[in-house]
Amino acid sequence: MADPKKRSKISVIVMISPGISVDSLVHELMDSLHSLRRPFELILVDDATTDSTFSMLRRVAQKEKRIRVIRLRTRSGEAGALEAGLRCASGSVVVYMNAQVRVNPKGIPLLIHRLDEGADFVIGYRFPRRDSFLNRWVSFGFNWLVSRITQFRFHDVHSGIFATRREVLNHIRFYGDMVHFIPLLAGQQGYQLVEQKIEQLPGKFRQSKYPKEYMQRLLDILTVFFLTRYSKKPIHFMGFVGIVFALVGLAIEIYLFIYRILGLGAIAGRPLLLLGALLLVIGIQMISIGLIGEMIIFTHADTVKEYNIEEIINE
Amino acid sequence: MKKNSNSIALSIVIPVYNERENVSRLYEKLKDVLSHFRNSYEIIVVDDGSQDGTFEILKSIAQKDPCFRVIRLRRNFGQSAAMAVGFRMSRGEKIITMDGDLQNDPEDIPLLLQKLEEGYDVVSGWRKNRKDKMLVRKIPSWIANRLICSVTDVRLHDTGCALKAFRKEVVDRIRLYGELHRFLPALARVEGASITEMVVRHHPRRFGRSKYNLTRTFKVLMDMTSLYLFLKHLRNPLRFFGSMAMGFFGIAMLLCVWIAYLAGIRHFPLLDLNVLVTLVFLFFVAGFQWMFIGIVATLVVRTGNREWGILFQRMGHE
Repeated sequence: MADPKKRSKISVIVMISPGISVDSLVHELMDSLHSLRRPFELILVDDATTDSTFSMLRRVAQKEKRIRVIRLRTRSGEAGALEAGLRCASGSVVVYMNAQVRVNPKGIPLLIHRLDEGADFVIGYRFPRRDSFLNRWVSFGFNWLVSRITQFRFHDVHSGIFATRREVLNHIRFYGDMVHFIPLLAGQQGYQLVEQKIEQLPGKFRQSKYPKEYMQRLLDILTVFFLTRYSKKPIHFMGFVGIVFALVGLAIEIYLFIYRILGLGAIAGRPLLLLGALLLVIGIQMISIGLIGEMIIFTHADTVKEYNIEEIINE
Repeated sequence: MKKNSNSIALSIVIPVYNERENVSRLYEKLKDVLSHFRNSYEIIVVDDGSQDGTFEILKSIAQKDPCFRVIRLRRNFGQSAAMAVGFRMSRGEKIITMDGDLQNDPEDIPLLLQKLEEGYDVVSGWRKNRKDKMLVRKIPSWIANRLICSVTDVRLHDTGCALKAFRKEVVDRIRLYGELHRFLPALARVEGASITEMVVRHHPRRFGRSKYNLTRTFKVLMDMTSLYLFLKHLRNPLRFFGSMAMGFFGIAMLLCVWIAYLAGIRHFPLLDLNVLVTLVFLFFVAGFQWMFIGIVATLVVRTGNREWGILFQRMGHE
């Protein structure tokens, strides 16, 4: 135990939502953390549950000093839970876990070991997965797309469990649903990302029931795309798309114009005319929105920090 | 702006990326030149995530020389970000930027400083005898330069030259991000700096590979568009967006008049005028769009946390 890295305190932040069997979860977590033989704390964040969950949490916390319970007043989602947990956490290593994804708490030491080996950010990769077939396929498609967009090879970005050092999280700004992209944002800052397989427990899962959630995933892809590539230069993206649309629209209109001039027929009733106009409008609109984006970035450039310093010599 | 009590006379900022063969030679040349320099100085090298061992060489130099400061970025963030780090870390009253590839000659540094003394805020190098390949480097660079000159107010022969000198006040105000390092003089102009140029020496590349390529033309064009906006219309963006909108409205109005003439006087059936009506719609939509975007732009500028171009009234000869 000479390595100071291996003695640093671990804060495990677990987001608790309604319907979780608190007793067994906490029991397994404590068992798994004890096996590490390092100082730790367990922070259970109750995301404004209304059933008996909180009373169970209170009971658990009274028995064990290393467990802290935070209750959020309104449902704040994962970002809120993580932020609240981080505010109370005192460890230099942070493990975050969403209790809903039902990964085996025994896997947490595996994540910690990878951190000790030198990784900056370890994403749990649920394997084998035990939730529904549809969920798995949607997840596969999503991760494939995300991997294509970014340079990282992901199997399970949304796994809801990761371990990292405190300072990494301090460098990342996240809010709202962005919490799902913390691994990506960390990678973008140049931190070394690794994946670690972690077992998923069988049992009841939250299912994606609504088309709304799949829509959300699609929009997430756009978020990833924009965040990782164009967040400092929106016009490179919007301008490109805008010019392509406008040029196609223009080409259509010119074609129709020539068609009419040569006397090949009437064009007034042709849907193509409307299509061309539509594309032109969209194109012009995109360009103007891109310019607004540029102005936003430029006028707020004081807060733009797009680099991450690893080391300074002769400071 | 933060005040550094231990400020020094000169900072040299050099972003490098995979320049293993060049850095120690560059250091020796710099040292040669700077040994004649009477005031304090520092050399800041920003290693933009090199993977070829550049950092180890830099580290070994830095351990011997406390004036040699090395900043390593966690990954390759691009030249703008590297330059921004260097600027932020610099303590000098005057700041020189140069490339780490030995194509710029450190011998020019005293001359640039002299020029700065004459009262300019920015002195940009001009590679009059450029030692690069004609087709892939010089011609695109020439075209880009002409475009930048005509779009922005900056009349320079060679805005792309990395060897430049700045006063600290300018550097403190410039915010580099994205890929704006190509437009440093224009950015300085946005802040109200006075800019001049000076012929500098240029050497062919001896070691390592050039990191430029031709595929960036589109991005450069786009960046130029936004710089034009920043330079000319930052204080009143509604004027820019609004005049575009007025243009669209004007065309729409003319078309309306024409439609009225055709339908009312020439008695064309309205169905035959569908094309014109579509165009009227198109231009009205575009016009309204730009008008409202202009209003949002005004809000954006108002809520932004910066003021432009007011600093340099008092500057120049002090």
